Amino acid sequence: MTAAQSTLEQLERNHRAFAWPKARLWLAVVAIIAFYAVSWRLAQIDLARLATGLPKLGHWIARAWPPNTEELPLILLRTAETVAMAAIGTTLAVLLAIPVSLLASRNITPFPGAYYPVRWFLNALRGIDSFVFALLFVASVGLGPFAGVLGIALHTWGSAAKLFADHIESANLGPFEAVRATGASRATAIGFALVPEVLPVFFSTALFWFEFNVRASTVLGVVGAGGIGQELKNSMDLLDFPRLFTIIAVILIVVTALDQVSGWLRRRLV
Amino acid sequence: MVAPQAGVTAVPIALPQGIAASRDKAAASVAAPLEVVGITKSLGGNLILEDVSFAARKREFVAVLGPSGAGKTTLFRCMTGLLAPDRGVVRVSGTPMTDWHWKSRRHVAVVFQQYNLVGRICALDNVLAGRLGYVAAWRGWARRFGRADRLLALECLDRVGLLSRAMQRADTLSGGQQQRVAIARALAQQPDVIVADEPVASLDPSTGAGILELLRNIRDEGVAVVCSLHQVHFARQFADRIVGLSHGRVVSDCAAGAFDPAAQEKLYGSDSPA
Repeated sequence: MTAAQSTLEQLERNHRAFAWPKARLWLAVVAIIAFYAVSWRLAQIDLARLATGLPKLGHWIARAWPPNTEELPLILLRTAETVAMAAIGTTLAVLLAIPVSLLASRNITPFPGAYYPVRWFLNALRGIDSFVFALLFVASVGLGPFAGVLGIALHTWGSAAKLFADHIESANLGPFEAVRATGASRATAIGFALVPEVLPVFFSTALFWFEFNVRASTVLGVVGAGGIGQELKNSMDLLDFPRLFTIIAVILIVVTALDQVSGWLRRRLV
Repeated sequence: MVAPQAGVTAVPIALPQGIAASRDKAAASVAAPLEVVGITKSLGGNLILEDVSFAARKREFVAVLGPSGAGKTTLFRCMTGLLAPDRGVVRVSGTPMTDWHWKSRRHVAVVFQQYNLVGRICALDNVLAGRLGYVAAWRGWARRFGRADRLLALECLDRVGLLSRAMQRADTLSGGQQQRVAIARALAQQPDVIVADEPVASLDPSTGAGILELLRNIRDEGVAVVCSLHQVHFARQFADRIVGLSHGRVVSDCAAGAFDPAAQEKLYGSDSPA
């Protein structure tokens, strides 16, 4: 028997024998199927209800035409409020995120002991949605867009700082070390070598969060935190579909336009 | 093996003004710019360097040769202060590196295989990084340097033949040009010694030869140059002295002209590179 033949027979024996990796694979398949079965029950998926509900939705859409544009100035003002909330909240968050992201980057943090506490803190901010923060702030600082701004800022702070830190951790540290080797301090080397390298990515990330927050803050009004969401909820509660149609159309136009503008900005500056 | 001999080789010579401006340092006139004395270093339980000693004198281009795994990179990290040796000492112009403040790193300029320029800023700003060990920290953040520093940086760029590219973004330069900017950055540090870790390994042969020629000319201005290389013929052509490193030990240390095929075989074994 040649060496190749005996190796082949050995492989075939292994294939027939019970092996942990194979058993683990099957267990994983069973677990995944069980997970979806349980999720289906918990989510109360009911296709019959969808079948009866869909025509109702179609009926509403039919009633929404022609849209009611009488209150267009108010709707535009509320939309502008939403955009302003997102702009202020995101800017505040990014300014807070930059210093914290330096502490949350394993490769350049001056205080390695603070790495995990800072990461946990950011995860906590990221884990609580701006909607939930807005609920808390409506209760503490009162109704209106300011509560929304604070909610957006806190959630975006955690999310943006995490992304910034990930960018820093994957950045090429060659130039940073070269600048350190000239006798520059750590802080100077960060400013001189690392900032130019990560600035475009930071800017792009900040724009992404601005776009995201414009979309997210349309619903903040539902909990009383200002913006177009309040009008949206009022129209829905009154079943005023022509007005609802106008509001959704304005949101779509504004969101699309902002996406275009920030995409153009990103191409220009990155 | 040549033991470092402080005081024997150094003849005080007035440095030319400009790039290698004379420094007020009494020690610089007597001690060799770089002395490596009996360095031993283990990493992860493996002995990488064992009792390595050599010196680079003023106006001397020392090439360090050796097969991969000989410990060149570890040796260079010790020489630039990135690693502390277990035993032995690295002295720069007589001062042991262990006594250093972080600003002292400016006395040893490093040229990297991958250039390590800041890609998104211009060549001039990259050269000005060489002044960061001298100026106040805020100047680094604001990238605002004094007139004397800017003039010096431009002279350094002129020295490497890239004055016309001063305002060009570093990542738009070719590999050879980037390495020249990196050398200009090293010059702007006004160092005692330039340590170049395989500076031509990423370049084609003729560009690499140009870089080595530049480093050789620079040593005429009063700095020592220590350069690791993979190409024996480059070392013979450009270096003054060749230090051979094998299995963490110095196995040869001789004038470049004396590095014959026998020395080469001793260093690399029988199937040595051309």
